[in-house]
Amino acid sequence: MISSDTQIEDNLSQQNGLAIINSKAPFSSDYGKDALDVALIFGSFEQKVSLFFQGDGVYQLIADQDATLVSIKDYLKTFSAFEFYDIEDIYVCQQSLVNRQLDEAFHINDVQVLASVEFGKALNSHQHVLRF
Amino acid sequence: MSTLHLVRKSAFTTNDFAQCLSVLDQQDSIVLMDDGCYNLKHPLMDSLIKRANSTISINVISNHAQARAIETLAVVKQIKMNDVVELTFTHQKVITWQ
Repeated sequence: MISSDTQIEDNLSQQNGLAIINSKAPFSSDYGKDALDVALIFGSFEQKVSLFFQGDGVYQLIADQDATLVSIKDYLKTFSAFEFYDIEDIYVCQQSLVNRQLDEAFHINDVQVLASVEFGKALNSHQHVLRF
Repeated sequence: MSTLHLVRKSAFTTNDFAQCLSVLDQQDSIVLMDDGCYNLKHPLMDSLIKRANSTISINVISNHAQARAIETLAVVKQIKMNDVVELTFTHQKVITWQ
């Protein structure tokens, strides 16, 4: 009884959280930067935020990128601040990585690579979703 | 009539690169720039290299690929942005795929 209550509570707290889906490559548009700004704003107001990387969005996490080579301010470096904003749930779609022949080599730690079904389940446990 | 194809979009999200390849002629050249660099890892690239048989020149803007941490292929020539200016003069037409 107690365990099912805590589970329901867990589910509710999950449902109250915000999910942000990143689906665009990092340098050719402002979507990645905008998503980052929203995540950090919610984080600084102690709102629960989970980040999802899907499609070309997975390129935002790949190691050894250098935006300065294309004259862009390197906002990807700010990803390492997630832990200070208590953003701990970072999910990557495994199929998107495989399609793009990418290794699971990311420039931040504690990234969870999920197969399509689990990725969908994790996303569906959130009540609010923003897609960039 | 040779054409210079400037590919600026990822084939993983748009079909611009596929459309480019469908009209590609033997004496044409391709330049991968911006998000087009991601196409180096796309299955379409393998089929292009197979059919390229040294007449189609495939180029990539080196700093655009490097910024995205993409390894370039030996058969793809690394060029700079100012080399593209040269290429626009050596081809009759330019098509930008974006």
